[in-house]
Amino acid sequence: MAIQQADKLLKKHKDLHCAKVLKAIGLQRTGKQDEAFTLAQEVATLEPTDDNSLQALTILYREMHRPELVTKLYEAAVKKVPLSEEYHSHLFMAYARVGEYKKMQQPPKYCYYYSVKKNLFVLQAISAQDEKLSQTMFLPLAERMVEKMVKEEKIEAEAEVQLYYMILERLGKCVEALDVIRGPLGEKLTSELQSRETKCMSLYRRLQRWPECNSLAHKLLLKNPDDWQFYPSYFDSLFHLIDQSWSPPEEGDCSEGSVHHTVAEVASFVEERILGEDGKDSRSLRGPYLARLELMHRLRERGCPEEKLLGDPLELMVQFFGKFGDKPCCITDLKIYLHLLCPEQHVQFVNRLGEAVPLGEQGDEGFAFPEDTKALQRHLCVCQLSRALGLHHALHPDGKLRLIAELKAHYRHGLKFGSDALKTELQFSDMYCLMAAHVYIDLWKETGDENMVWQSLGVLQEGLTASPSNAQFKLLMLLVYCHLGAFEPVVDLYSSLDAKHVQHDTIGFLLTRYAGSLGQFAAASQSCNFSLRFFHSNQKDTSEYIIQAYKYGAFEKIPEFIALRNRLNQSLHFAQVRTERMLLDLFLEADIVLSLEESVKAMSLCPEEDDIPWDTMRDNRDLTVFTCWDPKDRQLTEEHRRRSLEEESVWLRLRSLTLRLLASLASPGHTPPQTPAQQNSEKANENGVADEPPILGVLLSQLHRTLQTAAQMAEKRTQYPLLGPPATRLASALSSGSCQCQAAALQLSVHLQDLESAGLDESSELQTQICNGFQSLVVQLREILNKCKGDLLEMKGSKLKTRPSLLENLIFFVEVRNLSLLWTASHCAKILRPLKTSLQKKKKKKKDVNTPAVVCGFQELTGSLQDLLTQALEYIKGQETGITALQLAGLSLEGNTQDEESFAKAAMDKVQSSYLRSLQEAGDLLKKRAETIKNLKI
Amino acid sequence: MTTLRPFTCDDLFKFNNINLDPLTETYGIPFYLQYLAHWPEYFIVAEAPGGELMGYIMGKAEGSVAREEWHGHVTALSVAPEFRRLGLAAKLMEMLEEISERKGGYFVDLFVRVSNQVAVNMYKRLGYSVYRTVIEYYSASNGEPDEDAYDMRKALSRDTEKKSIVPLPHPVRPEDIE
Repeated sequence: MAIQQADKLLKKHKDLHCAKVLKAIGLQRTGKQDEAFTLAQEVATLEPTDDNSLQALTILYREMHRPELVTKLYEAAVKKVPLSEEYHSHLFMAYARVGEYKKMQQPPKYCYYYSVKKNLFVLQAISAQDEKLSQTMFLPLAERMVEKMVKEEKIEAEAEVQLYYMILERLGKCVEALDVIRGPLGEKLTSELQSRETKCMSLYRRLQRWPECNSLAHKLLLKNPDDWQFYPSYFDSLFHLIDQSWSPPEEGDCSEGSVHHTVAEVASFVEERILGEDGKDSRSLRGPYLARLELMHRLRERGCPEEKLLGDPLELMVQFFGKFGDKPCCITDLKIYLHLLCPEQHVQFVNRLGEAVPLGEQGDEGFAFPEDTKALQRHLCVCQLSRALGLHHALHPDGKLRLIAELKAHYRHGLKFGSDALKTELQFSDMYCLMAAHVYIDLWKETGDENMVWQSLGVLQEGLTASPSNAQFKLLMLLVYCHLGAFEPVVDLYSSLDAKHVQHDTIGFLLTRYAGSLGQFAAASQSCNFSLRFFHSNQKDTSEYIIQAYKYGAFEKIPEFIALRNRLNQSLHFAQVRTERMLLDLFLEADIVLSLEESVKAMSLCPEEDDIPWDTMRDNRDLTVFTCWDPKDRQLTEEHRRRSLEEESVWLRLRSLTLRLLASLASPGHTPPQTPAQQNSEKANENGVADEPPILGVLLSQLHRTLQTAAQMAEKRTQYPLLGPPATRLASALSSGSCQCQAAALQLSVHLQDLESAGLDESSELQTQICNGFQSLVVQLREILNKCKGDLLEMKGSKLKTRPSLLENLIFFVEVRNLSLLWTASHCAKILRPLKTSLQKKKKKKKDVNTPAVVCGFQELTGSLQDLLTQALEYIKGQETGITALQLAGLSLEGNTQDEESFAKAAMDKVQSSYLRSLQEAGDLLKKRAETIKNLKI
Repeated sequence: MTTLRPFTCDDLFKFNNINLDPLTETYGIPFYLQYLAHWPEYFIVAEAPGGELMGYIMGKAEGSVAREEWHGHVTALSVAPEFRRLGLAAKLMEMLEEISERKGGYFVDLFVRVSNQVAVNMYKRLGYSVYRTVIEYYSASNGEPDEDAYDMRKALSRDTEKKSIVPLPHPVRPEDIE
């Protein structure tokens, strides 16, 4: 309809730009993108200046996802109509949308409009990524502009004061900024609570004005003794004052009031706050009590003997527990101060706390239970603290089993307090259940007894029946299933967490790390897609809100939004899912649905292009998402995080290089002349040499270097905490030999190219070399396959044992075999075929030419690949039969109730079913590739 | 022992312990950015001394001043399980009310699932009352029926006669509310 209307209009007015653009919009919306674009460009080249055309083109370009064209449009418009404030403003917004902060740095030459100029400088000043330019040009310009407004008393809005502050602060003019904040302009800062105070505090700190800092901090703490943010400033300032041997001036106080410059003063201030809380009728606040522990911690760090002034840390913590032990956060509060106790005090501490927990009479099992939820919480907290002090880990296996029995008994007893809980609510005693699962896992890792892991899954499954929305239960089950090599149950668990949007970036790794490596390729593709969809929308979304923040005067948010956009674009997970998704597509589909060349083209994959921001990569994973009460020496450290990121980067580099190498095999340079008959072979060879992109060699040497780094890294065998980052596939890829095999296959390409230029006649040495390469490839592949041999799941006596590493190796075999097939199919065959054809022509002339060695070698290679395929399929079939035949119902888990047994068996069933599915997917994929081999005959 | 500070974009990467709760919605990035761009002072997060996020409140100011409907609105309020029973939600609500007072709002309002008794009771304790029921306000995704919401309100000092909180006699449909 719209197109017809536009056509009618165009008949009457041939040059009505706007109608043309409207028609283009119609075309675009009916899927005729190319026509739409051509029509739009007709108008755009005329550089229209009428508002209607400009607006319509803006809409069209946005729908085409070509925001950069909007900037061109308005660049032309402001050139023609330099006095239009509106067009400048549009141009400015257009720059902001595409993130062209550099361009925004060019002030409009003809623009004399104050507000537009202000806009430009300010946005440039606060968003410029070029720090130097920002410091030397935009900020000073913006500062002058705002100063002028101040002088003319034109500053009225809070946002303008905010902006003034930001400009000064960025210029490092802290004294001036402080004057603004403390002066009459600062009074305008009213929207955000305590905005003035926190800004003052940060300026005092930057200016190292410790007396003022100290004085303001204690004034604010007097007002709200629970406001934690000011305690660190209070204590820091004290120590700076001590270090400077500061003494109060003869007359009067500092500008903020009195200063506490001795430990005694500060200690007594904190004690007074505690007395205040003790004497209150209403709820006591934790702040002052924790502040005392914090002060003690800092004094100890400095080696100050005055630590004694505050008392004995054990007594203080017992006192804290007495007051706040019934709060679920008591463990979180105390855990950061446990190091104040000496190891000999640990047992004593836990015993003291235990005495303060009111429990009822001992029952038949020998356990006494709490009679209300407050007592339950206290008892639970003692268990949590014991674990955090390492007392659980120190127990012998028998002791651990007794502990588990106690935790389970408390868990089940506690359910009575939540008998009427909604399914969206947690049970009061859930954390006992989680802790029992943790201790089971400790035992599994310590003794290797697989029954422990089944029971850990069992107890968590039991927990979910009473508390179906407990995310921690689901997360831990998910992790344990992955460690057992079973991905199938993970899909449902993860989806019931309802993780969305940014959570794909923070916890999506739980899926993407395991799905593909455990052979569930369909789930792997889907997991990557979830994440990719999120990342792709980020670019457009964030730009829009940078402009909004500007419009609404939320200037502080502009750099924040820009940083967010960068953080997402530079996300490790983003780069991983991008790469893995394309690799999956190639492994799964290339040369089946489309040829490798077409697949590579469809992905716009360019071997020369490396789009991963290696130097600025951000690790956005939430590695603390698992609740953990492990002692300090078992917790995740910064070193773990650093090493994990390093390992992920190296693995990603290997994957990305593999991908780009595959793409380079499919790039046009490798396509031999279509019809060899038209060109003689010599010429084809010349072309081959001339067109050969050096990229293959470059990428190969990068691959070898990365493999060296990878080998060094794998030697270190970094162990991460179980609840920390998962190890990458790197170590197992190296030990299975799959990395080396892939590299060898790709390396052969170089020799084949040499052969392509040398021809078949004068290259017997090269041919032998290539044939050796073929043979070695087969040997390597066979070795990988041998590493899969063994039973994935077996019953030993009454125990069910898993061997997930066999499954991982099988998947490596599938991957590397598919890769080498793709490589052979698209590369060797295409290089060898024309060579052979030209040979056959010669043959017709001379009848006594033998088949060249390399062709024989190639035929042997395809034959061996066929054999390996048969072997692999037989292995898979054997495993499937074996696993299906296992009689899990016959297993018994000693010392467990019937319910417990059935929960644990449900977990076993899930693992069994998941293995079968992985085997099936792997088998199907291998079979799909069987055709490729048949087509390889030359 | 809590630091109350403005919510920042980086907090989006740390709020899983709060948002992996079945009643806490994780919105798309644009939704958070819209609030941060327009009403940054209304988006406050509480942080524990160890750096864990404890909870947050996200709100806005809206409504016509002329019709005496200018008010503060609570869009989201959530506290992580381990930081519950500290009075944190009440503290965050108090802050939102304070900001709304400063902006000259007549009342503060919020929507809550009818089934979420814990929250309804808490809001009642904080002085909120049910102004109206909104039918099928919460759409369910998993085949379960849509759920009704209570629109709860608390008058601010500007509404001296507490006109804004007089309950409506009949429930309304989502399309009838602004």
